[in-house]
Amino acid sequence: MGFDVESLSSETVVVHMGEALDFRNADDFKDTFQDHVEDGVRNFILDFSETEVLDSTGLGSIFSLYREISPDDGKVAFADVSRPVQVVVQLTRTYKVFRQFPSVQAAEEALA
Amino acid sequence: MDVLTRTYTDLNRALDEVRSVLQEWSAAQDPAGGPKAETVRYTQLVLHEWIANLLQHADFCDRSPTIEIRIRSERRHIICSVTDNSEGFDFAARLPDKEERMDDLPERGMGLRIINACTDSLSYTSTEAGRYRFEFSIPADHDPWLSMLF
Repeated sequence: MGFDVESLSSETVVVHMGEALDFRNADDFKDTFQDHVEDGVRNFILDFSETEVLDSTGLGSIFSLYREISPDDGKVAFADVSRPVQVVVQLTRTYKVFRQFPSVQAAEEALA
Repeated sequence: MDVLTRTYTDLNRALDEVRSVLQEWSAAQDPAGGPKAETVRYTQLVLHEWIANLLQHADFCDRSPTIEIRIRSERRHIICSVTDNSEGFDFAARLPDKEERMDDLPERGMGLRIINACTDSLSYTSTEAGRYRFEFSIPADHDPWLSMLF
């Protein structure tokens, strides 16, 4: 499964995460962000509005993205986080690492 | 007592269906005495992580994988089991200590920790029928936020 990526600028994209990010498509997500990192993108807004499943492997792939871009002052933001994703974020305390925004637009304004 | 039982021979299908099956089951429970929405969400997460674990790591030899999921609610607790026909593994040896610190931002190895944090009691033991059964319970007032992962 591919991920729908919307380019906001040369440095910022929105990734619409779809219904699930789990061990079955975590490698697809990594391939997707790798292409954009190589193109110079440093800020990733992850739109979780439609996401029903985020599992440990999916979360690990987001950590992988963060490790890759954070040395260049890149940022990963969570936008419009669905309740099932919020459960994982709270449980793992990853809100300490990734800023959350109520909407993609709010994230876009904050990262601009 | 309303017990939900589902048997799957396709573990990918089990993963895809477990959320909706649980939602339908919880909607049919008594609103006054049934499980809370958060307890159901933790159950969904634990079942997803466990079935994913079986799909990725379990040894079924040349048998067709089969699992039976049973879920019931008791005084707002959820009690659940997943019985499989794999070769099993030493669950206690692989289960990380809740207090053991893990690497920062790990890419792998969080699944069993999430399962451990979400549940009150859990076990994975052999049955008299030669199968293996994963059992866990999640109390109504469980707050996995207190189980530090990072």
